[in-house]
Amino acid sequence: MAAYILRRLLWMPVVLVAVSFITFAVGQYGPGDPVQVLMGQKNNPEVVERIRKERGLDLPIHEQYFRYAWGVLHGDFGESYKYVGQKVSDLLISRVWVSVQLGAMALAVGVTLGMLFGLAAALNQGKWIDPLIVSGGLLLSSLPVFIVQPLLAFVLSRQLHLLPSAGWQSGLFGLGIFSPTIIMPVIVLSLGPIGGITRLMRASTLEVVTQDYVRTARAKGLPERAIRIHHITRNSTLPVFTVVGMSLAGLVEGGFISETLFGIPGVGRLAVESFFARDYPVIMAITLLVATAYIVTNLVIDIGYTFLDPRIRLR
Amino acid sequence: MKRYAWALISTLLIIGTACSTSTTPGSGQSGGVGGGLTVFGNDPPTLDPALMSDTSAASYVVEIFSGLVTLDRSLKIVPDIAESWDISSDGRTYTFKLRKGVKFHNGREVTAQDFKFSIERAADPKTDSHTADTYLGDIKGVLDKLAGKAKEVSGVKVVDDHTLQLILDEPRFYFLAKLTYPTAFVVDKDNVESGSKWTDKPNGTGPFKLKEWRKGELILLERNPDYYLEPAKLDQVKFLLAGGSAMTMYANNEVDISGISINDIEQIQDPKNQLNKEFVVAPSLDVWYIGFNTEVPPFDDPKVRQAFNQSLDKDKIIAVVLKGLYQRANGVLPPGMPGYNPNLKGLGFDPAKAKSLLQESKYKGNLPPITFTIPSSSTTVDPVTEAIVEQWKTNLGVEVKIQQSEWATFLQDIKRNPTKGKKNNFQLYELGWAADYPDPQDFVDILFHSKSLDNNGAYSNPEVDKLLDQAKSESNSEKRFKLYQDAEQIIVNDAAWVPLYHGKSYLLVKPQVRDYTPAPMIIPNYRYVSLAR
Repeated sequence: MAAYILRRLLWMPVVLVAVSFITFAVGQYGPGDPVQVLMGQKNNPEVVERIRKERGLDLPIHEQYFRYAWGVLHGDFGESYKYVGQKVSDLLISRVWVSVQLGAMALAVGVTLGMLFGLAAALNQGKWIDPLIVSGGLLLSSLPVFIVQPLLAFVLSRQLHLLPSAGWQSGLFGLGIFSPTIIMPVIVLSLGPIGGITRLMRASTLEVVTQDYVRTARAKGLPERAIRIHHITRNSTLPVFTVVGMSLAGLVEGGFISETLFGIPGVGRLAVESFFARDYPVIMAITLLVATAYIVTNLVIDIGYTFLDPRIRLR
Repeated sequence: MKRYAWALISTLLIIGTACSTSTTPGSGQSGGVGGGLTVFGNDPPTLDPALMSDTSAASYVVEIFSGLVTLDRSLKIVPDIAESWDISSDGRTYTFKLRKGVKFHNGREVTAQDFKFSIERAADPKTDSHTADTYLGDIKGVLDKLAGKAKEVSGVKVVDDHTLQLILDEPRFYFLAKLTYPTAFVVDKDNVESGSKWTDKPNGTGPFKLKEWRKGELILLERNPDYYLEPAKLDQVKFLLAGGSAMTMYANNEVDISGISINDIEQIQDPKNQLNKEFVVAPSLDVWYIGFNTEVPPFDDPKVRQAFNQSLDKDKIIAVVLKGLYQRANGVLPPGMPGYNPNLKGLGFDPAKAKSLLQESKYKGNLPPITFTIPSSSTTVDPVTEAIVEQWKTNLGVEVKIQQSEWATFLQDIKRNPTKGKKNNFQLYELGWAADYPDPQDFVDILFHSKSLDNNGAYSNPEVDKLLDQAKSESNSEKRFKLYQDAEQIIVNDAAWVPLYHGKSYLLVKPQVRDYTPAPMIIPNYRYVSLAR
């Protein structure tokens, strides 16, 4: 197993170099020039030339890439082109933190409610409540964010004046999760996970209830409550754990649409902004961050499997 | 090992509960904080006056910093840190008398030396300013300094602590207007040299101080009680940078002032609508146009350009597609701009004449294929463009293909660079132009002088060039404006563009906000505002 992990870790830089070089090349060879965008319509070609030179944008692409990679290896992701004088790392850290808070909260709510609903559906199989939960969850999770968001904003903000309709505030301890601005996005973003996890949880619970050990527990005369908590719920949550693990990498990505609609300064919005501004250093950093997150999470999940399911062995 | 999985899930459950308890309050984010004003803002790319170039940054920079001269709400150039100035008879030397007792936010007095430092800093190639050429380039020695050929800027002279002289290469009577732009503002040397993050704690001279800047979240400006002119009435102005649905936030009292999207205007214009009383319309100093690339067929023939002009019923497009929210443009300069000519004769709508013009042209009605490029990242074509193309088809019998180009690509393709032989890649394109300083030179000269790099259509008329050159060094502003108006009329007759319309901004302002006059340009505006609460 140690050899397996080592091998996977050794592959990591190879993947990252490939990903970063492709992104870099796409940026360089694609149309559009960051200095021109920065200067807007009134860009003077001579000034553009001067600033391009100042930033090393006139060098051959491999040289630019090596310069960049060298910087990254020394922990320097460069400065943003758009946010003049701001370090990419500073810019990104605060955005990632926002996206992670929001994503984690939405995931937590989604997983909790999804598991409860799934369990309730499975344990009530054959009654009316089961199809109600399953179809309700499916319906809610199929609604796209750009429909749910305006509806909720209309009802909760404009009609009832209960919640701010958009924005992001650092509340207690500088955390966005303690501010009312997070409530609506969390509702919207957790709908998807609720639907998905409800179905997953229901299926895995139904599988577990027919297992021999559940029958044995019943035969031993254990109270139904104990059977449900210790034998059924505990075992049926395992597949959910895998799904949650997979979603963790997505947390650093943020949401392109939801962050824009809700006015949340997260990674998703920064990525879109940076793309339009041809802010290469920021685009590169986001790409590397997301790639790393996926590689690491995948590895952790693969390792995690061996603990969760003793039948799996990594070689 | 299963225990760990369970532990994780229980942790998630706890977080979930914590979240639901924090959901209880959150009612009514009413207005601002501490008697302040809350408005929308964009996250500025920078707050450095020498580096900023977009309106989002300008709206904060003009409140935090200030310069020699500024614009009042009617866009007149008025004294700011300079209390008076004197222009030498040859129009080359500007002598500014600085106000005494003007202080940076930290209490240090501003001297002429600070202006010298600020101008030389902006012109230092290391500063990387891309506005210094445009706004300071008329000062003797600035271009040498920018090119790294000089240590100092020879045209900046400190006569004494409160007298500053700026010497120009050539007489340029729009120079004062350019000085209202932040590139020429004063900055504090110690502040600027304190590190690359100095703009997080800027030590300016403006009516407001930067109290807090949480990137992507908010900017909080606080009143500068020691401001040298009449201090602001508001305690603070809070800019929400995170965005969201403007109308909803306004209706929910999350902001005091909000823009209105074109889809909401109709219902607000209805006098029965509650919000109708809070509705404010402001002019906007811009012009939207269709540009012709005069270097490529068929638009190298003025007759074809005139035909494309006269076959468009702009009034109909504005009335039907734009719901009457824009004003038809006959020429280049927007109303409200100094030098605007209300008597300018536009080409007008005349489809019969347009058709005959097309026949008279050297193409005799046999036009090569035409592509109309618009800057847009949308997947659909906007209705205005569709209407234009449809009118050309019905009124002129010409099929025009629409091409949408994302902004960065558009900029690269449209830009000419004669020294490198780079031409404008488009035939026909749609674009707008907004004022940076209130002088007709900012439109007529920059966009149509044959030597100007912003003359994207490569329009060239020696007669126009002559008038524009004359205007540059004409000291009498009435005569100067007349020269620009004459040039503008020729440009319109030559059909260098199809001028489409001038924009307006539509706003909602809460009734408790007093003395808020939306300005058609970015000017220090919040110091006039007060709240009735």
